[in-house]
Amino acid sequence: MTPAPFIEIDNLHFSRGDHDIFRGVNLRIPHGQVTAIMGPSGTGKTTLLKLIGGQLTPDRGRVLIDGQDVHRLSRKALFTLRKRMGMLFQSGALFSDLNVFENVAFPLRVHTDLPDAMIRDLVLMKLQAVGLRGARNLTPAELSGGMARRVALARAIALDPELVLYDEPFVGQDPISMGVLVQLIKRLNEALALTSVVVSHDIKETLSIADYLYLIADGQVVSEGTPDTFDNSEDPRVSQFVHGQPDGPVPFHYPAPGFYSDMLGQSHAKRTG
Amino acid sequence: MRSLLTQASRRITRFGRKGCETVEALGRAGTFLAQAGIGVPSSEGFSLWLRQMHFVGVLSLAIVLVSGLFIGMVLALQGYTILVDFGAEQALGQMVALSLLRELAPVVAALLFAGRAGSALTAEIGLMKATEQLTSMEMIGVDPLKRVVAPRLWAGFVALPILTVGFSVVGIYGGYLVGVEWLGVFEGSYWSNMQASVSFIVDVGNGMIKSLVFALVVTWIAVFQGYDLVPTSEGISRATTRTVVYSSLAVLGLDFVLTAVMFGGL
Repeated sequence: MTPAPFIEIDNLHFSRGDHDIFRGVNLRIPHGQVTAIMGPSGTGKTTLLKLIGGQLTPDRGRVLIDGQDVHRLSRKALFTLRKRMGMLFQSGALFSDLNVFENVAFPLRVHTDLPDAMIRDLVLMKLQAVGLRGARNLTPAELSGGMARRVALARAIALDPELVLYDEPFVGQDPISMGVLVQLIKRLNEALALTSVVVSHDIKETLSIADYLYLIADGQVVSEGTPDTFDNSEDPRVSQFVHGQPDGPVPFHYPAPGFYSDMLGQSHAKRTG
Repeated sequence: MRSLLTQASRRITRFGRKGCETVEALGRAGTFLAQAGIGVPSSEGFSLWLRQMHFVGVLSLAIVLVSGLFIGMVLALQGYTILVDFGAEQALGQMVALSLLRELAPVVAALLFAGRAGSALTAEIGLMKATEQLTSMEMIGVDPLKRVVAPRLWAGFVALPILTVGFSVVGIYGGYLVGVEWLGVFEGSYWSNMQASVSFIVDVGNGMIKSLVFALVVTWIAVFQGYDLVPTSEGISRATTRTVVYSSLAVLGLDFVLTAVMFGGL
């Protein structure tokens, strides 16, 4: 039996200025699974998460979370919906005026009436899970990038959300904490029956935890499938990405005029003329 | 001929677009103020507000009071040299008090406040935006307008009038130091002329109304510039500059309008 989709994205269009980022993206993200969205840098993976979280409004199309159209909700209803989500930002985005402990405690303090002792226990449990219980008194400025991301993960799961959005969770992690994080995402998903959306371009790690993958390139979903089908895919676009080949249907270069004319055209003419 | 026409039409287009952008920004600033400023006070909001009162108010106290002292001293010195020509140096207290209460205290305190606290508010909120702290707060389900902006807005609104009172008091004392202690104006006439000529409602009251208006405008500009900026280092530096420039111009322009309304008929 296939689980009912928790997030449905229909015909999503989004552009920044004249640059089209999405041209009709369709995604189904099922309940209780790890869904990975992969793609080269600059394809708008982070933008997609922001569209799901309702921070950006699409030009066309819609995003349904648990049946609710994110971009048609009132501000209040949107904030209520967001209490059920956790998002891990690429930069961590910790509150710089609070220490590690208070950062993780923040969602608990604003959304629950729990007594201090219980908040303390919950925060220490979350920090233990990411291996930073000893760092509770540090300020965000004293953390490395990787540590900040782990604290941010502890904060994102503080309220035990139903949905966690991970924006590049593996970037900048050393091999040990990378392994721990991969395990953690997988375990959290199983233990808490979370729905996880992982945006990443770390192939090996993502393939090891994802139940289902989407590959986005050029503003559209170019391929989807389980990790097995991805690994053995005949599709040149998929195999180019999975095996990291520079040449193939997915362009490495940002759109530009021809290299030759760019180098020798105008500037050359200016110098000689 | 044709190129002249296209050039003219392009210029009109640009002018129109600029106009639309300005109106749009004003609209954004208006809804921003309404969303942040109006809300139910809570005990948690009170402690956040108190914290901001410290940053915005208490930490601006030194610069405002020291400036007030010097302005009062300079007023007395300049006023004395003119008044003494007419044998009217007894009116020094009246002159110092009226200049400060009606004009100098609200205006100069607001300008200092824009430089000291306004720019800091813009930079702080802007940096929170640039490091995605505001976005992550939204994703946690907390409205940054209520959590970050509102306490700062209300702190500025309350702090500046209090600072203005301090400015006036210290300024009048500075005038006393120079006029009475140094230049030898009779102490009794310094105070009694002041008491006789200063009306609580007309002078103190109008000064405070001015100060409340300036407080709202300066803090509004500061937090809006921080919230609305382009989240890059260049964007933050530009927005901080804009805060100081816009609020200074707004304070001086509004001061003229308010003065004309309040004292134009006297």
